[in-house]
Amino acid sequence: MPRVPIGTILLLIISLLIYFGVAQRVLDRLRLSDKAALAAIAALIIGGFINIPLPGGPSIEASLNVGGGIVPLFLSGYLLTKTTNIERLRAAAGIIATATAIYLAGLFLEAEPEAMTIDPLYLYPLVGGVIAYLIGRSRRSAFIAATMGILLFDVVSYLRLMLLGIPGSVLIGGGGAFDAIIVAGILAVVLAEFIGESRERLQGGPTERGKAPALLKRLRPLSPKQQEEGDHNEER
Amino acid sequence: MRKGKIVRFLTLTIVYLLLLTVFTADALAAPQSSEVKNPHERTDQGYYTIVDEKGKVLHQTAHMLTKGDELITADNLRYRITEVKGDYAYARLIGKEEEAKLNVSSENSFWSRLLAQGGEKNIGIYHTHSDESYVPSDGTESIYANGGIFKVGKVFANKLKEMGYQVYHSTRAHDPHDVNAYYRSRRTAAQLLQKNLSALFDIHRDAVPPQVYAANVKGQEITKVKFVVGRTNPRFQSNLEFAKQLKAAVDKTHPGVVQGILIANSDFNQDLAPRAMLVEVGAHTNSREAAERGVAMFAEALPKVLGAPGSPPSTELPDAENRSSAWTIFWIVLLVTAAALAYLYVNTGSLEGALDQLRNLYGRLLKRKG
Repeated sequence: MPRVPIGTILLLIISLLIYFGVAQRVLDRLRLSDKAALAAIAALIIGGFINIPLPGGPSIEASLNVGGGIVPLFLSGYLLTKTTNIERLRAAAGIIATATAIYLAGLFLEAEPEAMTIDPLYLYPLVGGVIAYLIGRSRRSAFIAATMGILLFDVVSYLRLMLLGIPGSVLIGGGGAFDAIIVAGILAVVLAEFIGESRERLQGGPTERGKAPALLKRLRPLSPKQQEEGDHNEER
Repeated sequence: MRKGKIVRFLTLTIVYLLLLTVFTADALAAPQSSEVKNPHERTDQGYYTIVDEKGKVLHQTAHMLTKGDELITADNLRYRITEVKGDYAYARLIGKEEEAKLNVSSENSFWSRLLAQGGEKNIGIYHTHSDESYVPSDGTESIYANGGIFKVGKVFANKLKEMGYQVYHSTRAHDPHDVNAYYRSRRTAAQLLQKNLSALFDIHRDAVPPQVYAANVKGQEITKVKFVVGRTNPRFQSNLEFAKQLKAAVDKTHPGVVQGILIANSDFNQDLAPRAMLVEVGAHTNSREAAERGVAMFAEALPKVLGAPGSPPSTELPDAENRSSAWTIFWIVLLVTAAALAYLYVNTGSLEGALDQLRNLYGRLLKRKG
């Protein structure tokens, strides 16, 4: 019986399951239905293998990845159509703030020897998530600002390479499902959830006095039976 | 009214984009000069000297060092950096590493076939810092988007091809050499990984005096290689195990070629795969030809870890790799569970509430299945 590298195989399977599991929950939080969320995940994975070339030059390589670029673009677009104008403006402000923050980080960020460095992979989602949350205080704004902020930064990088003729490469969303754009979207929503819930809890939780019983019912965790009733009520 | 707002928003966005592009044109062109910012490396032409408790010099590197970073020396002594002051990093001996067991057999089991993904042995090579060059050979330490490091990568690729491996060598530029270089090269790495790779190497060079990497091995003037593992990535344990296996393999094939293993406070895109490795081949002060000879010797040791190319898939992974994978799984599951519980706790305000929510979710899942 040969020795089985079962650990490594399990690692591959479990880390993928967890990553996509968390992604599915995040999309679920964005008010996509379970099925739509799964479809989005499938599009992320399959689309990750498809790159659409963008016009470049002799020394400029540019492309747009379907999974890492177009899918989040569509998701954000869809979320934007499902919200109010004020929310749209907040999301737009978040996008611009995130892209600017990343750009400035590239120019000025230099870790001091004593300083703790945060990897850009985690820093940008953090920046996007926090900024978006502060401006929009919503998960959807956080998702849109983080993903589209990074995408905007890519677009600006592309424009600058083209305009100035600097050799280089811009593969928008080229990492597919593991691109910084997707990682940022997921982390930003998780962050917004944590900040939002913690803030409310620190405030002492939602006030109950003087509220209508119907509202209070919604504030408390529901029993499975109530939940089921609620699910039926929510179906449109 | 609504339309007006949308039009205004679109106009504003376009104006912003143009302004950003115009205003940053100068600054963005600047990285073509030598003044660039990079959080992973010293940019002041300086480097760190790592010394032990008795003041003995262990290693020198231009990599950014912080407290908690570790170094495994050529003779497998493991040190942890306890303090970084000025150009010095002070390290404490924390033990001797067991030499990684190399256990490559020619057995063709279902599992090894699954892991090695068919008979092909594919290897990916890319260069995050595509400007890195060698002063004695290239005349300068940095050539924008076309560094001497590409030639070192090419020698590595050709050597592996000669040995029968299928090699995917990306010479895509990720310049400028700044904080976002890994962000750009992440996409190259992810695309290479779609080729069913057995291993992925990001080839760099260090920036220290020549004697740190210069060596004479089997009558040849070479530069040594160093493996760098990022400790902020979730697959850290697996990557470290891979580095230790590589070191053990080269130590057997060409003793004296591996400088050591540096465990640094970053990710280096190693979260993408358990067998992704950053390799430093010499420094800018060494000649590129010496670096090319060094990297070729490193290539000759790879079959000991990845299995011989052409032969049926053969890598029987040693227990250590299973163990490190188990640890990685343990940490991932623990962290995710802790985060989920913390979230539910904050959400409901009590442990009972959190458990209630879990029961609730479980109940719903059962319902849906039934």
